[in-house]
Amino acid sequence: MKSRNLVLMAVFILIAGMTLGAQTSQKPIEIGFWSLFTGGDGAFFDAMVKEFNASQNEIVMKTDTVKFDNYYTKLTAALAAKNAPDVVVMHQDRLSNFVPNGVLLPLDDYIKKAGIDMSTFEQGPVSNCRFDGKLYAIPMDVHPLIMYYNTDLFAKAGIPKAPVSLAELIADAQAIQEKTGAIGIAADNTTATYKAYTLTRMFMSMLKEQGYSTLNANNTKANFNNDAGAKAYQALSDMVNKYKVTPKQLDYDSSVADFKLGKAGIHFNGVWVTGSFEQQAGLNFAAVKFPALFGTNASWSGSHTFAVPVQKTFDEKKVMAVMTFINWMTNHGYLWAKAGHVPTRKTAIDTPEFKSLPHRAGYADAVKYTFASPDTPKWPQCYDAISDSLEESVALNRDAKTALSNMEQVINAILAR
Amino acid sequence: MQHRNRYVARDIALFSASYLIVYFAFLVFPVIYGIYLSFFDWNILSTKKFIGFKNFVEAFGDPKFLASFAHTCQFVLLSTPTIIIIGFLLALIAVRPTKSGKVAETVFFLPYILSTTVVGTLWAWLFQKNFGLFNQILAQFGLKPIGWLTDPRYAMASIVGATIWWTAGFNMILFSAAIKQIPDEIYDSARMDGAGRFATLTKITIPLLKDTTLLVVILQLIASFKVFGQAYVMTGGGPYATTEVLVQYVYKTGFSYFRLGYASAMSILLFMVILIISGFQFILGKESK
Repeated sequence: MKSRNLVLMAVFILIAGMTLGAQTSQKPIEIGFWSLFTGGDGAFFDAMVKEFNASQNEIVMKTDTVKFDNYYTKLTAALAAKNAPDVVVMHQDRLSNFVPNGVLLPLDDYIKKAGIDMSTFEQGPVSNCRFDGKLYAIPMDVHPLIMYYNTDLFAKAGIPKAPVSLAELIADAQAIQEKTGAIGIAADNTTATYKAYTLTRMFMSMLKEQGYSTLNANNTKANFNNDAGAKAYQALSDMVNKYKVTPKQLDYDSSVADFKLGKAGIHFNGVWVTGSFEQQAGLNFAAVKFPALFGTNASWSGSHTFAVPVQKTFDEKKVMAVMTFINWMTNHGYLWAKAGHVPTRKTAIDTPEFKSLPHRAGYADAVKYTFASPDTPKWPQCYDAISDSLEESVALNRDAKTALSNMEQVINAILAR
Repeated sequence: MQHRNRYVARDIALFSASYLIVYFAFLVFPVIYGIYLSFFDWNILSTKKFIGFKNFVEAFGDPKFLASFAHTCQFVLLSTPTIIIIGFLLALIAVRPTKSGKVAETVFFLPYILSTTVVGTLWAWLFQKNFGLFNQILAQFGLKPIGWLTDPRYAMASIVGATIWWTAGFNMILFSAAIKQIPDEIYDSARMDGAGRFATLTKITIPLLKDTTLLVVILQLIASFKVFGQAYVMTGGGPYATTEVLVQYVYKTGFSYFRLGYASAMSILLFMVILIISGFQFILGKESK
């Protein structure tokens, strides 16, 4: 008797499930996505997705609430098994790890079909997502290296404006140390939670200001063991060793904390800390593009992009829904700018919402001076190796010649493999 | 009777199967697959390319492999004796038949149950240069702050310090269990013969713990060679990769740079080193018996 009841119940549930399943065609289409934002950015991103879901009733964006420690490890495994979500956030400099393996969908046809006008985007960040003429990702933002300075400390030290040359930068930093007792330049030069990436980002920017890329044109050799590299390295080393305007053994978290607490005059970092600096009571600061220390402007920059993984079974409806989502997200870039990032779309920058945000205007034009990281799957390893090498040479106060030839040897070995 | 035996055999098979399936799926298979992978060039997304012993050859010419292996050895040399000796001393406190002995045993063992990340984060804060507890204490005495984790002279020692606090309790448990098994009569008769505390310790306790000591040394060596988590959380391998240990390099190579074959080859080399040292010790322990 009991078992018969059970069977009946199972049949009932099955029928109920089938009728529910039949109804899903009227229900909004569900799109899975993964994003890598943790901490400050994450809250802004989640709020945007929520607003997108509320703005229409055809598409529902769903994500795992888990924030991955090792986003790219998980993503790579999912891509290999072809069960990655419908759309993913990816750093532009990671694209070359994935595009050659055919796991990302070329997007040009769907962009055209969805009627997204790519001419409303800044062209630099878009062309960095193009491989063999095909577009594999759509940039959501760029996050360049910029310069922050504490306006109170600047006033106290009698400095009227932001430094725009290397000589001014050093002089201002010295004036701050002498007159206010604060740290001149808080820029990390030691590994802790993160490697000393700011050192690398500044080095790359300084090279580019002199017209040099970090690697040669076809990414087979290092391209910094030259006069431009020597000047860039010397400037970084001098800040720590000669002028002593940057403390030794300063790690990333400490450099951010020092500036946040008003204990540093100048701070070099990506735009992503703007939001958290704004929330700091009593901190008055300005943010400007990375200064032209060697003549022309150039600043290292990362870029968050949207990419569409290749699925086991292709569903054009889903891809088109993803296009709608990307179109909305990039058009509403001014919401994303609250986190500090610079929107890539002119339609987002030319809005009263974006223009009314404080600080962003100071570095919005940094987009024009950004450059992409070298386009090779070996870049993540090179990036780590350059950071370790610069950290070591600056810490040990090596001369430029030794520092650069050591670093060149390491990088060339990685690239030759 | 025969009928019954059949059931017993079936039960044994069923009960052990649940464990064996997990054991094979998550231990034996990955180990064998790792050995297989070490002969290939593979980035997870590409097709595997057989390259023979190239990965192993590369390791011996890779300065980063050699440097990180040297850092692991440095950690092993610093941590193994200290953690064993401290574990033994803690055991001597813990085996006292008083209430305080019992409390001490629990207190000493507690850190061991914490996860790597908890221990790493906790000690990273204690050692923090500007706000950390240790430097605040130094400041009380008018001393300059020390870059416990950012100065290459201290970083590795700081990691060893945190590891002692974390894992010495495990060795203590092994030692104290063994000490408790030494019959009281031996101590009594020694005392009758006028042996002092030091004499009973060196002439009775330590010699009778020989088997346990061998076990502890082997287990500790293996654990120390596998160092990764706490170092990674505390220093990230820094300053300038001076505390980057071999397992961290393996991890980075595999899951950041996506060179699974090379990462497998390096872990197999580490496995061989551990195997040889443990085997050597085992034989040494047996011979002197």
